Amino acid sequence: MKVVITGMGAVTSLGLNADEMFKGMLANRSGVKQFPEWKQYVGLRSFLGAPVAEYDIMKISRTARRSMSKMSEMAVLATIEAIGQADLIPGKTLNSPRVILIQGSTAGSPFVFETYYKKLFERGGPEGQLSTSFFKVMNHSVPANVASALGFHGALLSPSSACATSAQAMILGWELINAGLYDIVIAGGADELHYTSTSVFDIVHAASRGYNDRPDEAPRPFDRARDGLVVSEGAGIVVMESEASARSRGVREIAEFRGGAYLCDGTHMSQSSAPTMAEVMRIALKRAGMEADDIGYVNAHATGTVQGDQEETKAINEVFGNHTPVSSLKGHLGHTLAACGAIEVISSIKMMREGVLIPTRNLKDIDPECAEVDHVQEKRSAHTHAVLSNNFAFGGMNASLVISQPRGEV
Amino acid sequence: MNREEIASRVNELLSTGFEIPKEKLVPTANLFADLGLDSLDAVDMLVYLEENLKIKVQGERLISVRTVEDVYVLVDEIVNQKTHLTTELKPEAQLEGQPQIS
Repeated sequence: MKVVITGMGAVTSLGLNADEMFKGMLANRSGVKQFPEWKQYVGLRSFLGAPVAEYDIMKISRTARRSMSKMSEMAVLATIEAIGQADLIPGKTLNSPRVILIQGSTAGSPFVFETYYKKLFERGGPEGQLSTSFFKVMNHSVPANVASALGFHGALLSPSSACATSAQAMILGWELINAGLYDIVIAGGADELHYTSTSVFDIVHAASRGYNDRPDEAPRPFDRARDGLVVSEGAGIVVMESEASARSRGVREIAEFRGGAYLCDGTHMSQSSAPTMAEVMRIALKRAGMEADDIGYVNAHATGTVQGDQEETKAINEVFGNHTPVSSLKGHLGHTLAACGAIEVISSIKMMREGVLIPTRNLKDIDPECAEVDHVQEKRSAHTHAVLSNNFAFGGMNASLVISQPRGEV
Repeated sequence: MNREEIASRVNELLSTGFEIPKEKLVPTANLFADLGLDSLDAVDMLVYLEENLKIKVQGERLISVRTVEDVYVLVDEIVNQKTHLTTELKPEAQLEGQPQIS
């Protein structure tokens, strides 16, 4: 069954909607900024992040907003953008037993976890806790709050696999549509920037420490001088639906979701493995009914860590050789964690539609260990029919998916 | 704190905590039917009152609170009780400095 994408929404450090984000990428902007206030945290050595600019939260009603942390707010704004493009109307066409909301985050709000437990320990119990705190830290906080804000009455799932969350949400959506269980899936993820998220990576030497005074120069995926990732925040949401549904509703098919796969290493919690990465890409291609040669661009997960970028390069080379253009968007956006899969799909769709490939920002001197692929270092004109996008996560999570231009348009 | 000050502080808390326009905060306004609060807000209102006015409210006392005036009365009762206790304690405090008779 053909599954098409009919709506996209993004809230990122480069802009508050998908168009602004892509304009930022075309202009080679970076969303990374210094966080000198993080120097107060003992043991933390990475003081960079890519925050989302202030937005109008009054678009969301108080009763819906009171149970939201920033990740849910951003997810609501991105979902409103995506369903608007897909012509799904809250209270009307959105509410159908054939629509499912699949969104997630790495965990609940780190801000609220911190304030909740700080007060709990200070007071020796739950005295003084707000009634809404739990709704900001529960694992399904993002989709539950999106549903509440939009009055969505229907099926809801909340997958969580850290940095592979939204990739898994989309692939799961594709599977469910293919199984004939749903016609429309509103899939994606969101995460908010907090020093504890950076700490998670810093403690295992995976966060950038050498560019604290030069935020514009980090992260540096595939570069010889890369020294780790930069955590950011945002939300990415796509509306996926069966081709029959899109045609019957008369909505524009922006792209086609050809297929995807997820695969767990089962070997190591933090170290990525080239053989499993290659395997998941091959399975994704097979499920998409495509060959490696059909792919015109690989959107790499490459976050700027020494080991991860190297392993992904090996895996891409094993599957595609060295002739398929490859770039990572982490140099522009930092790592949006649970949101990155959907944000990168949205960006890749825009690249296909605009006939351009966005280069890996800050990739100046290619690491010899990452050299065996065709790196996009400058903006490149390209008529790309199909893209493979990777996302990998702690816990040995590997996800890969394939999107293409709508077949009717090629 | 007199009733006027209590009303002013409570209004400020309700306005900032629940984004209620100040002109709607009249004594007869029903917290739920007129101002749109619900059971979750009632719990949070208690937290705001306790933390900002440095008082302790028994949760059960909220059950009978329906209007803005009810909140003023509740706070007034607690504050007055505190004032009463302080007054009662004063003579003992004054005794502390006096020579003990044995």
